[in-house]
Amino acid sequence: MESLASLLHLMPETFWMIVKVFIVFLGPLTLAALLTWGERRGSAMIQDRIGPNRALLFGRWRLLGLPQLAADGIKFFLKEDLVPTDASGMLFWLAPVLAFVPAVLGFAVIPFGRSFSQGGHVFHLSLLDPGNGMGMLYPLAIGAVAVYGILTAAWSSNNKWSILGGMRSAAQMVSYEIAMGLAVLAIFVRTGGYDPQQIIAAQSGMWNVLPQIIGFLVFFTCMFAETNRLPFDFAEGESEIVAGFHTEYGSMKFALLQLSEYLHIVTAAALIVTLYFGGWRVPFVAEPSVPLSVAAFVVKLVFFCWVFIWVRWTIPRFRFDQLMFLGWKVMLPLGLGNLLLQAWLMHRGA
Amino acid sequence: MAVLVKKVELNWLDRTYVWPVLMGMVITMRHFIKQITTRSSKRFTIPYPDRKRATAPGYRGLHELKRFPDGSIKCVACFMCAEACPARCITIESEEYGDINKTQGFQEKRPAVFKIDMLRCIYCAMCEEACPKDAIWLRTDYEQASYDRLSMKFGKWDLMNTYADQDGKARITSDPTPTVPRPPVDE
Repeated sequence: MESLASLLHLMPETFWMIVKVFIVFLGPLTLAALLTWGERRGSAMIQDRIGPNRALLFGRWRLLGLPQLAADGIKFFLKEDLVPTDASGMLFWLAPVLAFVPAVLGFAVIPFGRSFSQGGHVFHLSLLDPGNGMGMLYPLAIGAVAVYGILTAAWSSNNKWSILGGMRSAAQMVSYEIAMGLAVLAIFVRTGGYDPQQIIAAQSGMWNVLPQIIGFLVFFTCMFAETNRLPFDFAEGESEIVAGFHTEYGSMKFALLQLSEYLHIVTAAALIVTLYFGGWRVPFVAEPSVPLSVAAFVVKLVFFCWVFIWVRWTIPRFRFDQLMFLGWKVMLPLGLGNLLLQAWLMHRGA
Repeated sequence: MAVLVKKVELNWLDRTYVWPVLMGMVITMRHFIKQITTRSSKRFTIPYPDRKRATAPGYRGLHELKRFPDGSIKCVACFMCAEACPARCITIESEEYGDINKTQGFQEKRPAVFKIDMLRCIYCAMCEEACPKDAIWLRTDYEQASYDRLSMKFGKWDLMNTYADQDGKARITSDPTPTVPRPPVDE
């Protein structure tokens, strides 16, 4: 790494930072793109269908339907970019960016592998080094910002369905953020800090999911609401309000909105892995090597991304009042109870 | 009419909602694994243009005008099919054979024009029912599409050749002169 950095006339830290930016930006983006394929093929298999498999690479290779991604990408770029006449022009353009940027930012703090030292420098495998003062609060804050993209898209479209979707999304966000925060708070309390490295270090003996099973369930459910996925896809709600907040969106703007949804899934899976499943830790290996730790993280990440798809195609969607009931009367007490339980256990010295 | 709402008592395990969801996930996963491990030829879905579904024996697809072994048309231009057709899609113009029809046992007429408008045809096989000579029947081909309306009007030679390649018969474009007297068709 030293030699590579000196080749580019850069400090090793700067060089590593650039590399990390590429990894953290392109990695989740690639995974999100693959998720669209995984979702379509996976859901097809779950429903005894086949899914998209007709697109051919250079008219020859089928590759399990993966060329469909490229075909869709090309289509999104080449389609007419339609803006409704009554839409608020500026905000209508801004909304996909507002949705996309937080989705990309969220991953920055997640450690995707073990830190290693080389030539007197310590290199961390997360974009923001530990001890940055934000820790796990950062992705939660970024996740809360994401709703502005949806709201902006909804308001600026000047469409009934869009506004309904946006309002629902805001209400949903309010009713779930609290429970989610409480679930995460219990982990902070147990760990004694909110830095992801600390949280992962605290999970060396046992993953958080076992002692905090209630917190995990609350957090996991809230993540579905956070990512606007079925069974809580009220922002989109395609069975009742056409396509919700992105009814009026087409071409690349729609692609950005859709991609940001999948990026949220990747970030949510990364959060679940970091908070509850030991991050890059490998079971029964005390100190895994760096490649092994990265591989472990990626395997867990992909698994939880798949769980998001899996659950979506298992459960029918909720009614909106059921969601509110669940959020305020079930999730919130459960989160509070979990926090109290953990606090009591710590008081007992367990 | 009043609808009776059936109240279902859930036990505590079902009311947690977590356990039923897990059971549901097991079911979907079972489907997923079963479908992903099934060979493409064994799946329910037939990848259509690559593989085609075999049609049932009584299938009513594209028509064929039958011919005798020597290639001449069986149709005697009696207009029965055109009369029977509920969609009125058959147009026939008849013509007489030449001198040969003076000999006993030969057909006297044949269609000079036999047109079926495939855009109008409802594939009911009434023409097949009506035909006294068994000269027209509906067969297996169901892929009829075209870029213009005119090519959906199938003429006499189109209809005689629709299944020629499939049956290994020669494609013909003119009426051969019959050589032997035709036996009457057994009904």
